[in-house]
Formats: sequence, structure tokens, C-alpha cells
Amino acid sequence: MTEQVIEAIELVKVYDGAGAETRALQGVSLTVTAGEFTSIMGPSGSGKSTLMNILGCLDTPTSGTYMLAGRDVAALDDDELAEVRRTTVGFVFQAFNLLSRSTVMRNVLMPMLYTRVPRDQRADRAGIALRAVGLDEKLWTHRSNELSGGQMQRVAIARALVNDPSLILADEPTGNLDTATGDAVMDLFSQLNAEGRTIVLITHEPDIASKTSRVVRIQDGKIVEDAPTAQAWVRRYANSTDRAATESLSMSGGES
Amino acid sequence: MDFADLIAETLHSLASNKVRSGLTILGIVVGIASVIAMISIGQGSQATIEQSIQAAGSNLLTVMPSAGSQTGPGARSFGMNVESLTRDDAAALEGLELVSGVAPSAQGQGQLVAGTTNANAQILGVTSEYALVKNLSLTSGTFISDRDDTANAQVVVLGATLAGDLFGEGVDPVGRHVRSGNMLLTVIGVLAEKGTSGFTNVDSAAIIPLSTCSRYVTGNEYVSSIALTVADEAQMTAVENSAESLLLERHGISDATYADFRIQNMADMLETVSAVTGTFTALLAGIAGISLLVGGIGIMNMMLTTVTERTREIGLRKAIGADASAISAQFLMESVTLTLLGGALGIVAGWAIGVLAANVIGTAAIVTLDSILLATGVCSVIGVIFGYYPARRAAALSPIEALRYQ
Ligand SMILES: Nc1ncnc2c1ncn2[C@@H]1O[C@H](COP(=O)(O)OP(=O)(O)OP(=O)(O)O)[C@@H](O)[C@H]1O
Ligand SMILES: [Mg+2]
Repeated sequence: MTEQVIEAIELVKVYDGAGAETRALQGVSLTVTAGEFTSIMGPSGSGKSTLMNILGCLDTPTSGTYMLAGRDVAALDDDELAEVRRTTVGFVFQAFNLLSRSTVMRNVLMPMLYTRVPRDQRADRAGIALRAVGLDEKLWTHRSNELSGGQMQRVAIARALVNDPSLILADEPTGNLDTATGDAVMDLFSQLNAEGRTIVLITHEPDIASKTSRVVRIQDGKIVEDAPTAQAWVRRYANSTDRAATESLSMSGGES
Repeated sequence: MDFADLIAETLHSLASNKVRSGLTILGIVVGIASVIAMISIGQGSQATIEQSIQAAGSNLLTVMPSAGSQTGPGARSFGMNVESLTRDDAAALEGLELVSGVAPSAQGQGQLVAGTTNANAQILGVTSEYALVKNLSLTSGTFISDRDDTANAQVVVLGATLAGDLFGEGVDPVGRHVRSGNMLLTVIGVLAEKGTSGFTNVDSAAIIPLSTCSRYVTGNEYVSSIALTVADEAQMTAVENSAESLLLERHGISDATYADFRIQNMADMLETVSAVTGTFTALLAGIAGISLLVGGIGIMNMMLTTVTERTREIGLRKAIGADASAISAQFLMESVTLTLLGGALGIVAGWAIGVLAANVIGTAAIVTLDSILLATGVCSVIGVIFGYYPARRAAALSPIEALRYQ
């Protein structure tokens, strides 16, 4: 299967800040085929979130073309974009973006308000998603501003999964999690990927990246490397500044 | 998002922001309640005043002695009782066309003594027609008759309050005696309570035959007023004019500016008072308008200050797939629910305040549909526009812009 889910051509994003403008993306071209499991890496401020927001149809590029599942996103009207967001894409925000006054359960139920999931199935599906991310059932009735960062992150992931999207875009989904929980989340993503879903995630951790099949490295708004994981970590090994991380990468890389 | 979801989402959202919802509702309640209360008080007191004038009889002409507007034959120094009208004048007026009743009366002040209690009261000397002309009715006994008048009978009809003061509440004093000056008056009747009507308060007056009054109280044959009832209210002015010329002729005065009497027309009176109370109502309406403005600005404030927080929520809902119409529907529903709740409470509160205030002032409270519609209309429009419009605008932003909104 070579169907192209994501086809981005020469994406440029310029933010008009107060005074100086920021060129967050300076011509990014990226193609992702259905069923791929990709990680995006790069230093802070390199434009990863900016790219992800455009891929999730949450933001529009200053120039360049973005084709999602063969459709030019620029040609979609507001309602069609909304439909893509609720049916095709599951988005995990770096900043979680939960409704702080609502309970965990309500947050996870919310995406189903806008789709046609029958009322009596909603709680079941939310429960399945929350169990999948390993969130203790006792927390489900807590308001989301009473949770720890890691717990919020898992609620955000559960919310992205609940409408069963074919494309999952996750902005640092393990950034607030300890190694064990992070691994559990990655196992969940691997399983979802094995079921045929296309996944793109952002991470700073080589450990996490090594569990994906392809690594895209961004620097200063440009793609500087795009390779299968096995090759990517070899290249990284060559000019590494973090020996411990590289070693753990080589170990896990060796196991797979 | 179906309708049940919409309702559930709205109630949840309002309930999880109790302070915000409460303050918004409060703004609406204050705006609506103040308008309804003010207008109800204004219109209530206007109606009450007009009613009391009408109770006196709006087909009534009252002729009273007057010094005249210029120095003339009838002029006396101001403040003194002018003596110019007589019973004969009254008898002559009876002959006029369309005059259905003529009641001359004289008045004085006197101490009334019944056993050990006494009271200072207004003493009215009247003829039998007085009861008819002034719409008086009796709770017991009879009124002054023509025979009482011709015989200078020492009889008295007591006003309701005065009867209570002298003999105690609930006691029928008919047949008992009251002493006043040189008179020993037999009580022959008690008036039904009337309230202030026109300018005399008959409730606390003692009513005796006019001839008796002339002999024992005023000491002369003059009367202090002649009340005329006119058969056709539309002809009040015509009758007033013919009464004036008749009296001028009888008093030998050729220039009306030197007249030693004046005629008061109850219909004119009613008009004047209505104009005054209308101004009063307009003043209250003005105050109400200001409260409405203040309430409206309050609502506006609440709705707009929540925009920042709501804009992020809108961004989030859009990010997870809500389209603009779902978001608009939710925020419209919230605004409508808030204004409906506030409106209902405001109407009830305004009504209650109006009735309460009217009770304290002693007037009627008139809650009009107009004031309800005006107040709820304005507040709902403000509430819905300022709740809905910013939400609509936020829904037009891209999800990321909305999520970043500061
Ligand atoms: N709304 C915005 N307005 C102006 N500049 C922005 C805006 N969003 C991002 N930027 C700038 O664009 C650049 C890329 O930001 P972005 O959030 O994509 O980085 P990132 O790679 O996700 O970083 P991190 O790893 O810290 O999350 C940064 O220099 C940032 O300052
Ligand atoms: Mg980022």
C-alpha cells in the first residue's frame, strides 16, 4: 500500500510577531504513506509544533501545498476542515488543552459530541480509551485541573483516540511521562500502528524515536534528515554529543 | 451534536462556571426588575390619584367665594374668608339647564364632646342634596333631610373616622348625643368610609343641617361652597359658563375679572393632575431607563470578559472537530438560557418590588405588559448579542489562533 496520507510541499510558515517576524518553517516537504510510524525530532524552537499544527489542519501555512489523503487542504472550507479534524485526525497537543473545569470523563467524551457515536456507546468508548492510556479509573471523575502533568497528558491522548482516527498526530506525547509510562504509551501507539493507523509524533528522546520506523529531523525550520530509524541512529552516533543517549539508542536499535 | 447534547452541554457549562453565570443573571435581573418596578409604581400612583379625583365626581363643578384677581368690589385682603355666596345663589343655580344637583355647604371648626371623649372636627353645614352630589352613602341611620334644614334641627351625621373616635370602633352611635358649643346634637347617621375625595375629608367631619350651621357655627347666612352636578359631562364647560354669568349678574358685577367667586371644574382638575402624575411617571421611566442601561452594560461586561477564556474553549472544540455551527449553537443556547433565567427572575422580582413599594406608599401597583416586554426585550437582545457575537467571531478563527488567544 502506497497511498499517501500526508504530502506536504515546500511549506513555509512566517509568524508576524511584534516587531520581528519569525520564519518558523522555511520550505518543508514531507510525504507520509498510510501505515507509517514516524517521529519528528529537533531542537526546541525548530518548528516541529508549527509543522504538526499544519499537518493537523489546525493552522494554515504561509505558502506551500498540503495534501491530506489526496485532498488539497487549502481548498477545503471551514466545515470540511472541521469534518477532517473530527473523523480523520486525532491530535495530541503539547500543552494538552483540556477543559480544566470539566471532569476527565467529560473531556474524553467531548469529541464524540461532534460525531455520530450513539449516546449509549460513548461512555464505553471513552472508558476503553482511558484504560488504554493506563489512567486509574478513580481519576475519571476528577476535574482535569486536579491532575498531574503526566495524567493530563494521558487524558489528552485518550481524547485523541476516542473517535478512532486513521491518522494520529502527537506533539510530545511522552514529554511528561516517566520511562515506564512512556513505554506503555509507545506500546499503545505501536499496537495502533500495527492495526493500520498512520502515526506521526514529536519527541526529544532518542529512546522514543527508536520505537518508530522513521525519523525526520528538523532544524531552523528545515528538514535536515529523513531516514528509517536504523540508519538515522547510525548517523546520529557519528556526530553525537550525548553518549549515554546514543548507547541506549544503539542497544534498543540492536534489539529490534 | 443533537439537541439533547446541546442542552446537556449548555447546562454543564453554566453550572461549572457558577460565579460567571450568577453575575450575568444578576445583571439581567437588575435591569429588568428595576424597569418593571419603576413603571409599575409610576403608573400605579397615577391611577390612584386619578381614581380619587374621579371618586369626588368628575361631573362636579364647585363654586367658591374668591377675592377676584383684581382689586374690585368683592376684594378683601388675602387669607380672609370671603363671604359672597348665599343660599339664594344656590337656589338660582338650580334653575340652570343641565344642572342635576346643587349642594350649598358652609363649614367651620368645632370641638365635639361625646360623654368623656372629645374631638376637634370640621363641621359641615349641608342640605339634603349634599349626599347625592358628593356620592356619600351611610352605614347606619339617615342623612340630613329637608325638614331638618327648615327646622334648624340639632342633628348630626358623623364621618366614619370621627364616629370611631368619639364612640369607639364598631359602636353604632345613632340616637346618641354629641355636644358642640351651644348645640346638643342627636346622631342620626354614620357615613361609609370614603377616603380623601377632592379637598374635603368627610370621614372626619361632622355634618349638620345648613341652617343649623348658619345659626350656631358660622353665625351668618353665607355658604363656603356650592357644588353642582352636571347631567352631561360633555357639557361641563357650557354649564360652567352659564353659572358664571348667572352669578355675575346676581352679584351685579359686569367685569369677570372682578368676580367675587370662582368655579372649579373637576374635569379640568383631573387633566391637570394627570399631567403632573404623567410627568412623575416619565421621571420614573427615565430612572428605569438608566437602570436598564446599567444592567445592560453589566450583562455586556460579563459576556465580554469571559471571551478570553471562552475563545480558548472554542479553539479546543474546533480542534477536536466542532464546526462553526455547532459552536454558534452552543453559545447561542448559553446566552438564551442565561437571559431566559435572568428574565424570568427579573419579572418576578420587579413585580414583587412594585407591589411592595406600592403597599408602602399606599398606591396600586400596575405591572404593564409593555414594561415587561420592553425590559425583557432589551436585556435579552443585549445578552444574546454580547454572548453570541464574540463567540461567533471566535469560531471564525483558526483553532490554533483561538487556542493562543490572550
Ligand atoms: N504564534 C506564534 N507567533 C510567533 N512566533 C511563533 C508562534 N508560534 C511559534 N513561534 C515561533 O516559531 C518557532 C517554532 O516554534 P515551534 O513551536 O514550532 O517550535 P518547536 O519545535 O515545537 O519547539 P519545542 O520543542 O520547544 O516545542 C519558534 O521560534 C517560536 O518562537
Ligand atoms: Mg513544540
